[in-house]
Amino acid sequence: MRLSGIILIAAIPAVLMAQSGSAPPDFSGVYYPINPFGPPAGRGGPPPPPDARKGPPPRPTRSAPISDGSLGRAPNAPLLTPEYMAKWEATRKSRMSGSSESDLTAKCFPPGMPAMMNMAYGMEVMQTKDKITFFSELNDALRRVYLDGRKPSQKVLDDPTYAGYSTGHWEGDTLVVDTVALRDNTYIEGFTPHSDEMTVKERIRLASPDLLEDRITVTDPKALTKPWETVKTYRKAKPGNDELREFACAEGLSEAK
Amino acid sequence: MSKLRFVCLPVVLAAFFQATPAFSHHSNLAYEVTKVITITGVVKEFRWSNPHTWLTVVVTDEKGNQVEWACEGRAPGVLLRAGWSKNILKPGETVTVDMSPARDGSKTAIIARVTKADGTILANAPPNQD
Repeated sequence: MRLSGIILIAAIPAVLMAQSGSAPPDFSGVYYPINPFGPPAGRGGPPPPPDARKGPPPRPTRSAPISDGSLGRAPNAPLLTPEYMAKWEATRKSRMSGSSESDLTAKCFPPGMPAMMNMAYGMEVMQTKDKITFFSELNDALRRVYLDGRKPSQKVLDDPTYAGYSTGHWEGDTLVVDTVALRDNTYIEGFTPHSDEMTVKERIRLASPDLLEDRITVTDPKALTKPWETVKTYRKAKPGNDELREFACAEGLSEAK
Repeated sequence: MSKLRFVCLPVVLAAFFQATPAFSHHSNLAYEVTKVITITGVVKEFRWSNPHTWLTVVVTDEKGNQVEWACEGRAPGVLLRAGWSKNILKPGETVTVDMSPARDGSKTAIIARVTKADGTILANAPPNQD
């Protein structure tokens, strides 16, 4: 009886897939994040009526350089063990003093998983039957998710990267992705640190034809007191505003020499 | 004041001829994110570069003193989609900048919005995008 129940549960994804016409959804396209850093700042558009310019100025855009911890730690931020909370506090102190030491993306390093899924400046998804590729305009960062059933080899497990090694499978219309082999010098979000034991699980689906949703669960037995969950949403780009641009971050750095 | 200027001149010149080291350093400044100040001045330089753009604006106060602000903007890609372009801000034109100043008191800030003399608003994001 119990065994048949397990078989039934295991069969659900296949049934769902059959019901949706067997082919998985196509996530391909360019997307922009919805509120990656909180409420938006000023809006573009035609000149406002004269009086509007006397109105209150917009809120500042919360882009990377101003994430210095001056607003403290968000209530929904990952819950850190004392050791990693101390690391966060040290980084906060450094950033508040104006030091660039901890700001890896400003030094053109890849943002790394899972922070790269903020996709602050835009994301391009390229999908085939066996592989789905996510590209971030911010720092020209890229990750590949293998869908052909392969597993990470010992070689790649021994060689962690910023994006990590991702494998995925379809459960109905949802892409379930596991990411391992991540470097420990990136941040979960903001500048929240993590250990080399961090893994990331994602459930990605089209919440509506134009809205891609990524439910992310981060697990780290050394750094987190419990798994951290977050949801990112991205709106599909409209024609005329659907081109990502080259970032060439190192250009700014090389000019500095 | 004139003594201060004399001292500052070499620093300003150094910043001008080796502008990027200063910008590069500034790009990691802590900004007072809860505060927005507004300046109106004349564009000295608009640097359309990754990872961040930089707008240099010279503000002249009522006594005729000139203050130079280094204003950090978002990356060219996202600004292009927001309606900006590489040559949209030209040296010599007057602009109004809403921005959050650096915490260290230097004349550096991060841009929230730029308004051109004709009233055109250059925002940080396209109208339908955050």
